[in-house]
Amino acid sequence: MVLKYHISKNTFRDSVYLMRLSNTVRAFEGILEAEVIIGTDHNKKFLQAAGLWSAEMDQEAGANDLIIAVKAENEEKAENAIQGTIDELNKSVERENLLGEFVPRTFETALKNLPGANLVLISIPGRHVHREADQILDAGLNVMIFSDNVTLEEEISLKKKALEKGLLVMGPDCGTAIINGVPLAFANEVKRGGIGIVAAAGTGLQEVSSLISNLGEGISHGIGTGGRDVKASVGGITMIQGLKALLDDDNTKVIVIVSKPPDSEVTDKVLKLVSEAEKPVVINFLGGNPNDVKKTGAIPAATLKEAAEKAVNLVRGIDKNNDVSSLPEEEADYRKIKESFKDGQKYLRALYSGGTLAYETIILLHSSLGDLYTNLSYEQVRKIEDVYKSVKHTVIDFGEDEFTQGRLHPMIDPALRNSRIVEEAGDPETAVIMLDLVLGYNAHPDPAGSALEAIKEAKEIAGREGRNICFVTSVLGTDEDIQKRSDQVKKLQDENVLVFPSNADAALFVKKVLAELMK
Amino acid sequence: MEDLFKKELKVINMGLEGFAETLKERGTTVLHVRWQPPAMGDDDLLSLLDKLK
Repeated sequence: MVLKYHISKNTFRDSVYLMRLSNTVRAFEGILEAEVIIGTDHNKKFLQAAGLWSAEMDQEAGANDLIIAVKAENEEKAENAIQGTIDELNKSVERENLLGEFVPRTFETALKNLPGANLVLISIPGRHVHREADQILDAGLNVMIFSDNVTLEEEISLKKKALEKGLLVMGPDCGTAIINGVPLAFANEVKRGGIGIVAAAGTGLQEVSSLISNLGEGISHGIGTGGRDVKASVGGITMIQGLKALLDDDNTKVIVIVSKPPDSEVTDKVLKLVSEAEKPVVINFLGGNPNDVKKTGAIPAATLKEAAEKAVNLVRGIDKNNDVSSLPEEEADYRKIKESFKDGQKYLRALYSGGTLAYETIILLHSSLGDLYTNLSYEQVRKIEDVYKSVKHTVIDFGEDEFTQGRLHPMIDPALRNSRIVEEAGDPETAVIMLDLVLGYNAHPDPAGSALEAIKEAKEIAGREGRNICFVTSVLGTDEDIQKRSDQVKKLQDENVLVFPSNADAALFVKKVLAELMK
Repeated sequence: MEDLFKKELKVINMGLEGFAETLKERGTTVLHVRWQPPAMGDDDLLSLLDKLK
């Protein structure tokens, strides 16, 4: 076994590109482990922990240099992989040159080259965000911050400045937005229409906008605030701004708010504004008290699906108490499913890539499942000790920090979740495995295909011991998404995987299956 | 913000190149910034530069 490395001076690339490139290097013949990574101090420590460290790297590589480190069966294979990686890097430069486009290095130069730009999408390392966003606001542009690791103080300072200047700061940690029909970052291709959304929950915005589109209506704008916006310290600055903007927007006829329950001061501010609103407002405070919402004249929704359906009815002028449009339900015989399990199979293993969806499932299931564990924070549910080992009923969000350090988000690279699917199948107590498949821009090109590889392996493992596992999924997205929802659904159904139109439908189905099991 | 809702969206993308590519593919006006850490990533130099501003 040999360890070899190569340093490309002044070769900075974004983290997603590099993680993809790392996967490419690992696929070379005879490679045991590999990383392609920028030489920051943090990354050097990461290389040490990964056993890919050589002391000389410390002197040779700095924060603008690229380290290609490989552990291989022999010298020749190591060199072959390193050369292949260098070729790949060169190709990316050639591709850029072929576009014939000028690629600026700073915001100022970009602005000179794109006059009239009105939004900057930032996804650089968090500690550099404030410096960049601050000057962007000074130049009079709106900002969407995808990056996390921005301090609370920095968030507050940016949002206060934006408020003074009449600009919008979406995020930090804002994964999704739709502005003027344009899907930004992890968003879906949805129809345009009269429903505006403000969301402090990224996958919540994706789920609601996709369901609305699938029901035949459309989105005017979808504003993401970032989860921390609704904390008292930030004061819901972006949520209030977004709500006001949608109330003033002529194209928006109905508004949906999606968020974990905000701190009480923020809830009061939001609900006061809602009570004075002339447009109907549907609110899903995930797990919050619907009576607080009702008092203001707004319409509470218990699930993301319900929020979408109520908004669709309202925009069509159908009475809110007379729901007509409902997504089709999967037919199921719960007793038959129960009979397909072997003795001892009794637990749910819900493995999520979308945080809000995992959270919604916890809300819908925790009261009926006593022994529920999760890696998310939810008051009435126990925190799991080891996130890599399920206990009784377990809901895991693979998008949480513990899984994404130095790795791609599970919506882009589901490898970690796939191996967990296979692992859960080896546990004789696993009865139901629940999955979300998130489509849309920047997500995996074929989530269903990728999950099915693991599902087939899992079925084989369980089958050898005479067990059957019930796979329950929901596919978030639209037929206009590059992955085409109906194709993804068909692929899963062809392999006898149950597919539900929404996460809430899937969760409520699981609830009934488990209730049957407890009888 | 009025500007944001009423005018065509023109995006400057700073960071993950994939975000610019998907916008470009669907016909949105976008310019990608090949961002690099300022001051060659040197924190001490960076704080000095900040003081000069």
